[in-house]
Amino acid sequence: MTLLELTVVTASYGPLQVLDGVSLSVPEGGSVGILGANGAGKTTTLRAISGTVRTGGRIRFDGRDIRGLRPDQVAALGIAHVPEGRGTLGQLSVRENLLVGAYLRKDRKAVAGDIDYCLDLFPQLQDRVGSRAAALSGGEQQMLAVGRAFMAKPKLLLLDEASLGLAPSTAKAVYEAIRRLRLESGIAMLVVEQNANLAFSLVDTATVLETGRNVLTGSSAELKGMDEIRRAYLGG
Amino acid sequence: MRKKPGGVLGIVAVTAAVALSLSGCRGDGGGQGGGSASSPGITDSAITLGITTPLSGATAGPGKCTVAGVSAYFGAVNAAGGVKFGDGKTRTVNIKSYDDAYDPQKSLANFQQMVSDNVFAATAGLGTPTNRAFRDAAISQKVPQVLVMTGDPLFSDRKQSPWQLGFVPVYQNEGAAFGKLLAKSGAQHKVAILSQNDDYGKGYVAGFKDSIKGASNISVVGEQTYEATDTSVDAQLTQLASSGADVFFNAMSITPLTIASLQKAQQIGWKPIWFLPSNTSSPTAILEPGGAAAYPGIYSVSFAKAPQSPAFAKDPDVVKFLDELKQYGNYPDMPAFPHCMWSYMVGATLEKAFQNMKEPTRDSFMTALRDIKGLKAPLMLEGTSVDTTVDGQPAVSSVVVQKYNGKGYATAENFG
Amino acid sequence: MSTAATVRRPRVRMILTAVLAVALIAAPLALPAFANQTLIRIGVYAVAVLGLNIVMGYTGQVNLGQIFFVGLGAYVTAYGVNHGWNILLVFFAACAVAGLVGLLVALAAARLGGLAIAMVTIALPIVGVPLAKRLSDFTGGSQGTSARFTDAPDWSGLDNDQWQFYIVLVVSAAAFLLARSLVRGKYGRAFAAVRENEAVAASMGISPYRTKVLAFTIASIFGGASGFLYLAAVQYTSPETLSFGHSISLLAAMVIGGAGSIAGSLLGGAYYVFVPQLTNAIDPNLTTVSQGAILLAVLFLLPGGLVSLPRVVRRLTRRSATRRSTARPAAETSQQTPPAQHPVPDAAPEGPEQTERQDGP
Repeated sequence: MTLLELTVVTASYGPLQVLDGVSLSVPEGGSVGILGANGAGKTTTLRAISGTVRTGGRIRFDGRDIRGLRPDQVAALGIAHVPEGRGTLGQLSVRENLLVGAYLRKDRKAVAGDIDYCLDLFPQLQDRVGSRAAALSGGEQQMLAVGRAFMAKPKLLLLDEASLGLAPSTAKAVYEAIRRLRLESGIAMLVVEQNANLAFSLVDTATVLETGRNVLTGSSAELKGMDEIRRAYLGG
Repeated sequence: MRKKPGGVLGIVAVTAAVALSLSGCRGDGGGQGGGSASSPGITDSAITLGITTPLSGATAGPGKCTVAGVSAYFGAVNAAGGVKFGDGKTRTVNIKSYDDAYDPQKSLANFQQMVSDNVFAATAGLGTPTNRAFRDAAISQKVPQVLVMTGDPLFSDRKQSPWQLGFVPVYQNEGAAFGKLLAKSGAQHKVAILSQNDDYGKGYVAGFKDSIKGASNISVVGEQTYEATDTSVDAQLTQLASSGADVFFNAMSITPLTIASLQKAQQIGWKPIWFLPSNTSSPTAILEPGGAAAYPGIYSVSFAKAPQSPAFAKDPDVVKFLDELKQYGNYPDMPAFPHCMWSYMVGATLEKAFQNMKEPTRDSFMTALRDIKGLKAPLMLEGTSVDTTVDGQPAVSSVVVQKYNGKGYATAENFG
Repeated sequence: MSTAATVRRPRVRMILTAVLAVALIAAPLALPAFANQTLIRIGVYAVAVLGLNIVMGYTGQVNLGQIFFVGLGAYVTAYGVNHGWNILLVFFAACAVAGLVGLLVALAAARLGGLAIAMVTIALPIVGVPLAKRLSDFTGGSQGTSARFTDAPDWSGLDNDQWQFYIVLVVSAAAFLLARSLVRGKYGRAFAAVRENEAVAASMGISPYRTKVLAFTIASIFGGASGFLYLAAVQYTSPETLSFGHSISLLAAMVIGGAGSIAGSLLGGAYYVFVPQLTNAIDPNLTTVSQGAILLAVLFLLPGGLVSLPRVVRRLTRRSATRRSTARPAAETSQQTPPAQHPVPDAAPEGPEQTERQDGP
């Protein structure tokens, strides 16, 4: 069953039209990638879903129209956004960041268990639970951002450039953890990633954006086999 | 976590330190003076007075004057040996000043500090709210709060304020003085009234109206009010001008607004005789910039000689005052506010009370203070005097009406 | 963290808290009246600063009108006392009226966001002063209004200052405990999230608008409570109480005490009260200058406010300690990083600890 469906979504920052008709869908428990060059509209697509940019077209999530909702309303419906640049709250401790993620939850006991799960997922954070997030390394902050999004127990996770600025080994570790999270939690994911190798390690299908519209959609396996994709995104 | 115990520990430590440094036996502070029965703040050789007044902020100018005048007066007296009190001992007078920045909460704090500093009496402080803030405390602790600079009649009501006495005339006194002179003139006058919509303006108008009650030659033909926050009274002036009044009673306390109305009225061709309150009638600060020479007459009231007026340049009181203000009052300039003169008179009034008090107690001081009549304090104008014997009136309730002569003021015996 | 330490710590805390409580209860009986009166005023302003800290220090919304709510609470208290209301009712009315006005203002202002909130809050005391003068039936006009309700009852055998001390102690202790649990809990984290990054907060389901309104309203309620205490201590209020300048002084007190810190609020209250007393003692003619000098000195030496003093001292001693023995295990040093449970670990960011933080492109 389709969890999220975008139909000819447009978006603009002031006079600047960034999305020019993006359509895609994410099935329940599925994982979809968005590929594309810089400025193609990948991040804006995620923002359109989470309600931080003015949009046109139709966005349906979990059986209801969510276009035009405020970001906090979108979040309340079960969409967690791991933004580009991570957005960890630097003055708060790691534990507090995780608790902020669980803001809307009422099941306090389960929250404690989920914090333990996060720390198990990202063992590097275990020694740092009391530290301010600002004191973490870039990789740790990325892990924290993912963990915080998980703490909301969302139905859908929007993941934006989780590898950005990380050493290759760190980026790989982050994606491995996210893949484990996906397997164990069944959360659906919509993944924006420059590094297509990493993306394909996580997604079942992907769509390629060019100047604000889809030009290609297919399964990971199909896309990986295409010459133009290899040349543009896989470094060969 | 480490931090919280630290925080609690810190607070405990601070509390302990405060307790140690401040602890001393609780007591009412009595018996600190020389004689066994004397009140706090007075010994066989000295008496300490406290002044809480605005020394910073918007009203710091007049506030500094209140300290300077009293300090100047007693500085000279102390230099000459001190005051011979009614109990036969000669004492010097010490002044402690406290800045309240015109904040009621701070003036109360200052009063509490005075009590802890063993001050005999609070005096000369400027401001209605700041004096009101510690009035109750002064009453319950039986500390005199006397000759304070407020036109609030509450301070001169003996039943309600047994330990208080105001010094300056209440607003009603000023309005009434002008009304009396106007009624006495015998000629027909139509009066337009503009007043600030608060106790200040209302007091002036009430005093004025009371004094013209029954005077058939005076009629009020127009009455307008404005808010203390207004930036223009043009509309009110136009309205009043159309009433055809030949006398304009303007109970206004705001300097720029007074200047603007002096300018506006002549602009629209209305040239009545003006009355202005004592605090907004300064020749240099208000009348000259307002172009007051265009009017047939500007009246105000006063009870103090104006040192800047040429008429008093050689007056011995004024010369002595300016000299002492410089030497003992830490105030080298020509006083910009009448409060310098007023508080100098407060000094003279206090000295008189000291001379008459039979015992070194606050009770005896209050008795002596309330028994001064016909005291011609230095700098007082002919026709005014200190009279503390009338219930409901401040120490100075007599003012003389003065007329602007293009440079300064001269006493006006008659209207017109 | 060694187990011995974990076991011992709560006990140490409990003992210290008990000692503090006993000290506070015993203090007024031993201290001279003026010390009590000073502590009373500190309590009054600490509560006002605490409220300001919730909206500004914790939530990051500029509020220049806190004194308005203090004045409002004071006026409501005076009105209630003079009309013979029950004193508990008076207290709740003071908090409720201030809170309600705060809520209405916040509903309008928080929509505007950013500097607009600051502008609206500036307007409050500026409008408040003439309003208080004008509504003389309610406020007593520019002559102000007195209300005595805190004279010690005969049965207590206490002096007035001791009785007032206990009133202020009860209310401000309650306020501080409430604030403490508030900022350490879910809402405190929401405040901090909104302060740091509204977009991120929203993406976690925290409505920045509602959170700001909540913080502002709570600040106003604390302001009202402070106004109640003001009247308990001063027994008089007038339009001057809510003049704009005092709002700025409250703001300075908050920064000096420590923005985003509960203990800092108490220190801020102490600063608000002590500094005028101190500068009066130095030279009453130079209070403005010396107050400015003290303000600058504290800000330069302790940018995190007075509350960061122990931390700065600790850092200095730690530095010299590590110099002496470098053999200390690294694990132990890492434990000395700021604590977990503290919601917003005090304003001063410790620069050197920000290792490889990378801001997103």
